[in-house]
Amino acid sequence: MSSASLSSPGSGGLGLRRALMRNRGALIAAAVLAILLFIVDWISAGPLTYFDVSFLSSGGATSALAAIGQTIVILSGGFDLSAGAVISLVNAVLASSMDPMAPGASIILWTAVGIGVGMAVGAFNGFFIAVLRMQPIVVTLSTMFILQGVTLLVMDKPGGFVSPDLGTFYLGDAITGWLPMPLVVIGVVLLAWFWLKGTRFGMALYAVGSDTESAASVGINVVLVRFAVYVIAGGCYGLAGVFISAQTGSGDPLVGNPLLLSMFAAVVVGGTRLGGGQGGPVGSVFGAYILMIVVNILLVLNVSAYYSTIAEGTILVLAALAGSISHASVLAVQLRAARARLAAWRAGILPSQLERVDRRLKITEPSPGQRSPAAPRPAFHLRNAETLRYALPAYVCLLLIVVVTQIWLGRAILNPGYWNSLLVLSSFLAVLALGQGTVILTGGLDLSVPWTIGISGVVLAGMVNGSDAALVYALPVVLVMACAIGFANGFGIVYLGISPIVMTLATNGILQGCALLYSQGTPAGFSSPMLRWVMTARLAGLLTPIVLLMVVFVVAAVLLLGRTPFGRRVYGIGNGLRAARLSGIGVERTLILVYMLSAVCAAVVGIMLTGFSGQASLGMGDDYLLPSIAVVVVGGALITGGRGHYLGMLGGVLLLTALQMLLAGTTLPYATRAILYGLVVLGAVMALRERRLQ
Amino acid sequence: MGIGLKVRRLALLAGMAVCALGLSAAQAAEKHKIFLSMSYIGNDWQAEAANMVKAMAAHKSLADKVDLQVQVAGPNAQRQIQQINAMVQSGAEAIVVYPISPTALNQVVKNACDKGVKVFAYDAEITEPCAYNVHIDQLEAGRVTAEWLVKKLNGNGNIIAITGVPGTSVDDQRTKAAKEVFAKYPDIKIVGEAVGMWSQAVARTELSKILATRNWDDINGLWMQVGCFTANSMQLEAGKKTSELLPCAGEGSNGGRIQMLPEGTEVEGAAPPYAPAGAQRISYASPPYSGALALKLAVEAIEGKDVPKTTILPLPVVTNETIKLCDEGTWAEMKAGCNAFKPSLVSNPGWFASIFSDQTPEVGLAAALVGQPEN
Repeated sequence: MSSASLSSPGSGGLGLRRALMRNRGALIAAAVLAILLFIVDWISAGPLTYFDVSFLSSGGATSALAAIGQTIVILSGGFDLSAGAVISLVNAVLASSMDPMAPGASIILWTAVGIGVGMAVGAFNGFFIAVLRMQPIVVTLSTMFILQGVTLLVMDKPGGFVSPDLGTFYLGDAITGWLPMPLVVIGVVLLAWFWLKGTRFGMALYAVGSDTESAASVGINVVLVRFAVYVIAGGCYGLAGVFISAQTGSGDPLVGNPLLLSMFAAVVVGGTRLGGGQGGPVGSVFGAYILMIVVNILLVLNVSAYYSTIAEGTILVLAALAGSISHASVLAVQLRAARARLAAWRAGILPSQLERVDRRLKITEPSPGQRSPAAPRPAFHLRNAETLRYALPAYVCLLLIVVVTQIWLGRAILNPGYWNSLLVLSSFLAVLALGQGTVILTGGLDLSVPWTIGISGVVLAGMVNGSDAALVYALPVVLVMACAIGFANGFGIVYLGISPIVMTLATNGILQGCALLYSQGTPAGFSSPMLRWVMTARLAGLLTPIVLLMVVFVVAAVLLLGRTPFGRRVYGIGNGLRAARLSGIGVERTLILVYMLSAVCAAVVGIMLTGFSGQASLGMGDDYLLPSIAVVVVGGALITGGRGHYLGMLGGVLLLTALQMLLAGTTLPYATRAILYGLVVLGAVMALRERRLQ
Repeated sequence: MGIGLKVRRLALLAGMAVCALGLSAAQAAEKHKIFLSMSYIGNDWQAEAANMVKAMAAHKSLADKVDLQVQVAGPNAQRQIQQINAMVQSGAEAIVVYPISPTALNQVVKNACDKGVKVFAYDAEITEPCAYNVHIDQLEAGRVTAEWLVKKLNGNGNIIAITGVPGTSVDDQRTKAAKEVFAKYPDIKIVGEAVGMWSQAVARTELSKILATRNWDDINGLWMQVGCFTANSMQLEAGKKTSELLPCAGEGSNGGRIQMLPEGTEVEGAAPPYAPAGAQRISYASPPYSGALALKLAVEAIEGKDVPKTTILPLPVVTNETIKLCDEGTWAEMKAGCNAFKPSLVSNPGWFASIFSDQTPEVGLAAALVGQPEN
């Protein structure tokens, strides 16, 4: 897909066909949007007027603009979690600095301010990611926390004033009755993108996203390209922030934060591949509008409140499926493979049907006792040099935080209560880190964690209802349910070819609906005494039972990832899917198991939280999604998969928990805490920088 | 082919939705078309408020007049803007909304007003002047609870403050008002402060973090927006006797209310910590009936009655002096002064108990629990 500017215009039909193939993702997204528009028109009372189109276009514009920026980052192989926070910050800056007494405001000036703020944040991200070679996900996550703090310092509650001039301009008509302004704004940004794509920079961008090392070796300045990508993307978020300010006419420090997840969904629905190199912003714009129009579809279908997240999840999966219908899609490939397997089975030539004889090539057979005493095993720190390099920084920082806690608050190092609290509070993330970490090791991401936690807790509390005896059957039921959830995730990802982010995001929505339906909005029941004892009792006044269980869990987790065939397959898949497949790893089966493991871990956390709080509440998993990703990355894992050690992730868990305990012990305002938290995370992962490219 | 399949699937989906909900748009022709735009429904308060709105719409006094459709916007203000636009487009006469942001909806609400749609915001506020607002005075809530705590401590002591969701007006007003009160007493020191996100589960995690470096013995009182039930449970776990529980100013969860009852009170279904403990409390809440009341007012407004733009609800405050257990939880019974519900009826201690209003005889306990109106 990086050959955009290479296609020769003269080759007629072939060129057209190639252009169609190249933009398949965007075209399918456009078709899906057209169908959805048609459905809205068909089932709603009146015909679709210009008025509706105008409303729709302004409704989706903020997401679309932000999605364009996110797409460019993703094309370059990056990831930007700070997008939503930038939108909030720009909104807060505009609303707090415009003067309500002077209603006439310069559109150009304020648009420039918004874009400028976005670009400044982008430069901050770009510096750490491009120049210092740190992982995008953890840099932008830190930036997100820092920005949320800064936004609250700028504006601590909703209010402020944005000149109506801005609204009139951005929400008005470019051509009255024909063309709404939001579409023009998006069009201008897309035109700028097309121009950029045609330049050397555009080529370099796709090249870096496709294969960084090849790009570097043909002389592309990778650092500069990466830096520029984040600055450009920041500008897009800034413009989105300006747009939402125009649309709302005021400021709200929280307005942009919830846009983050739907932005990723928009990018993926629009046909851009996570990991880079393929797709483009046009598809993302359609993706953003697809997600927006779902609101209208739910309204005209009058889908009841409890079903709405289920319907949304279903639509997301269907849209993603529609986007992948082709001869080369995963689903088609899997179907063909299944047919071939069936034919082979009929003919009796499936490997499992053949006689079991040793068919290995003789030359590869290792001679027994090859390791001669002359070449001793290298020392421990040499054998595990890489693991140590990536896992140690978290522990070093943990130590620092504990020392600071001792100096600042006293009562830490020699206080057994402190260590017990640290371990108990860490236990939730430690369990999640195994699930999320394993998924990340394979190069995926599990966004269904929050409501897997929620529904597990709610179902468990409902069944147990204070009775220890009921635990005997409630625990297996919840764990089996989690296996089913994980299987559904894995099945959709492996056999239907839906990207992990979209699939698990959809599952999350469906689970939310199920939890609401199951509980009718009010979760019944409470934890049994035994479960509460495990999470809150103090053995000998010091130690909570869960801490002992955690020791067992950690040992089991390390063995699972480091010493079992399953663990080796996970690393194999993460390091190279194709290589893994060719070396005979059952990729499908392993991936499904990985997602099942993640769901089971989330369910265990749901059970633990129910024991800890004494009851289950619906949204109790919401606060665990981003931390579960953060701890894995802070612990030295590579977000694109293949590298990481569970002990490193555990270090990440302990570090972040200790940091939160330190901040909670102070009386600093929340905004300052958020900034400090972000800065410390950023500092902690400085040591995880990639080595300079050769 | 793919397209055909997709249309069929969506048509099927549509069919299922209509069948499953037993809704028929045709028969609602003469009713007032009213929409409810909710925020995030993943928490107890929101679900309870939604149940009460539905119960209000189903009550015999309104059932023939109102065609209520409930939609969810999630936590995303942008989506709520889109949703309200779509509601206006599909012919709403009134929109009852839980506003995700007090300011972000202003433009779209103004646009709705211009088309003659009545917009009613419940619990939180919309600052656009044409909107109707139904909520409590959050400043008063912060002040009253802080004053109660200061009085309990005789103006002297270390306290912990657990706030709500940072960046929201409700949290800002409550916390500021409370801190103004505390600032008047130099001997009251806030030694720990954390963001509680209005959730018992978060309150527990945050308190655990604070207590990792502090002792319960160093603390004299608690000011929390949500979490007194949890704080009391934690103190009991830490080995405190019920008589030693710290005074706690906080939310109106039923668990907290039951703990306020004198220790030893016979309560059906009670099991510690969801049991009477004589805890010293002031219990207040944003009452979940505000949505139901907003719906009732919206119908009145459509019918041409004069409805004030702002309805400030009386702050529901319950202290150890006024706590009283309900038998069944009917409206009439609550009218007589009861304000806590048996665990055998309300098994979730985090459930919000401030459901009584003089103005809403249509809804009682059954409404809040399962959406069933009073007779």
